[in-house]
Amino acid sequence: MNDEIKEKVPLFHSWNQWYAFVVLVLVVLIILFSFFTNYFA
Amino acid sequence: MSLPDWIVLAVTLIGIVVFGLYKSKTTRDLDGYFLSNRSMPWYLILLSIMGTQASAITFLSAPGQAYTDGMRFVQYYFGLPLAMVVLCITFVPIFHKLKVYTAYEYLEGRFDVKTRTLTSFLFLLQRGLSTGISVYAPSIILSSLLGWNIYWTNIFMGGLLIIYTVSGGARAVAYTQQLQFIIIFIGMLVTAYMVVHLLPGGITFIDTLKVSGRLGKLNVITTGYTGKGFNWNDRYNIWSGVIGGFFLALSYFGTDQSQVGRYLTAKTVSESRIGLLMNGLVKVPMQFLILLIGALVFTFYQFNQAPLFFNQTQIAKVEASSYKDSMHIIQNQYAQFSTQKKQLVANFVNDYKAGKNIEQSASALKKVNAETEKLRNNFKDILEKDAVKGDANDTNYIFLRFVVDYMPKGLIGLLIAVIFLASWGSIAASLNSLASSTVVDIHKKFINRECTEAHDYKISKWYTFAWGVFSIIVAQFAGNMGSLIEAVNVLGSLFYGVILGIFLVAFYVRKINGNAVFISAVLVEFIIILSFIWPWITQKFPALVPLFPAFFSRFINVLSSVSFLWLNVIGAAGTLLIALFFQLFFNRRQGAATTKQ
Repeated sequence: MNDEIKEKVPLFHSWNQWYAFVVLVLVVLIILFSFFTNYFA
Repeated sequence: MSLPDWIVLAVTLIGIVVFGLYKSKTTRDLDGYFLSNRSMPWYLILLSIMGTQASAITFLSAPGQAYTDGMRFVQYYFGLPLAMVVLCITFVPIFHKLKVYTAYEYLEGRFDVKTRTLTSFLFLLQRGLSTGISVYAPSIILSSLLGWNIYWTNIFMGGLLIIYTVSGGARAVAYTQQLQFIIIFIGMLVTAYMVVHLLPGGITFIDTLKVSGRLGKLNVITTGYTGKGFNWNDRYNIWSGVIGGFFLALSYFGTDQSQVGRYLTAKTVSESRIGLLMNGLVKVPMQFLILLIGALVFTFYQFNQAPLFFNQTQIAKVEASSYKDSMHIIQNQYAQFSTQKKQLVANFVNDYKAGKNIEQSASALKKVNAETEKLRNNFKDILEKDAVKGDANDTNYIFLRFVVDYMPKGLIGLLIAVIFLASWGSIAASLNSLASSTVVDIHKKFINRECTEAHDYKISKWYTFAWGVFSIIVAQFAGNMGSLIEAVNVLGSLFYGVILGIFLVAFYVRKINGNAVFISAVLVEFIIILSFIWPWITQKFPALVPLFPAFFSRFINVLSSVSFLWLNVIGAAGTLLIALFFQLFFNRRQGAATTKQ
């Protein structure tokens, strides 16, 4: 695990921020899809 | 196909094989052959992961699925980003730290040899069969549409990629997947553009969405709730997608060697993580766009007459049967409704553009679509008659039929090449993983423990070749399986839940040992497979049913009616809970024995 500690996390400050970003994008996509479904129905 | 199509197809396919051979240079040992010396950057990991998951079936079946059932299939992928996060937290650091070749190697250290071997066996069984379907799926469609011989198509589909997969192992697989993915996306984008471009003048992209939305094809989000509560048999809704899809994705990406083998090739843990997380970000939008092409094709066929049935081979079958006249009556009625449909869809678009009330024109359009659907169902009933014995599912043929009938010369060849390349990317990764698991988990464990590096490298190549031949043989015997994208996922769901359950116990419940998890896994796998074949048993062998206790039969009956995505949840949770039960039982027995002494 020492290798992991040395590796810099790209773009964000920590991996937790990366994970939160991925979950957030999913939530935004689901909201957009709901809007898409209702708008074109 | 025209000469330009043949030239485009041949150049693309030969180009990929040559490129694969060019990129084949690697060290002559297991690390080089199966893990590309753990040297890959994140973007190659991403393309390799996506290329492995997205087979030809994805590009053929998904637009057809949107055409027939709407875009709600995209919900199936909602659990994937969540699974990527869990993988990055738990699975990836452990696999990298232990420097394993296969995911199953870890299970021997955590449990014992028998649990490792069982899990590896379940993987080999499932992946071996589904690779055969991955060869057969595009072959049967191409052979049916273009009149090619199915046996030769299977051999070309599964055979040419063997050349570079055997030669270059994981490195050749990853580099060719990169190129394949670029070509695939160019092909799909051009097709999406062409669908809208081929519509009558004045019809915009938004107009096409308005038509397909009104006709229920843009149902991206569905809840699965009906007037009678939640429908557990509903295959695709937001809940089955997020929960069932999460378990399926966690199992597929975390325990299926065809995927684990891709991110084990990364040079660092970070490169693996970024590759997986980027997959979590792009997969859902990508599937959305592929399904959207299907919805656009549906709108295209509102303005143009769609075939009564997209698989022409089945029409020819009925033509040769005593139901020929019935089919002709249906065809005539279908043509009349299609003419009406063209007029009604034009009225709908005009009303919508003029800002008028569209309810009336939309209702008339829906009605005529219901009539054409009814006629299609009548035709499917004929196909299911004993005198015909046809395949009543044409979902897989819709997209390619459209391509062959309406795409310009040259582009047809490119799109046929796309089908080949998508297949190759997925099959090559499967063959590489099947070989790695056979060599590392079986051959070096039970057949020859003292292999030299040169011998390892040699037998790895032979096993890759042997699995390639096996897949082609399975493809030659594959039959009617309905929507092939579903067939592959259903097959996976029969095994993935249990495999995931074993890994979840390994990672999160340290108190459970090998014996408990082994018995639990065997038991749950038996129940899941039994529930899958239960309708067949009750129909073909009703005498066997009373042999099971009544409560057990009722339980299996309920399980057999559950949609396949839930089997992943049931398999994983069942393996974990039953293992826990057995562990408590073993502990108590051991405690009693100690007290007696």
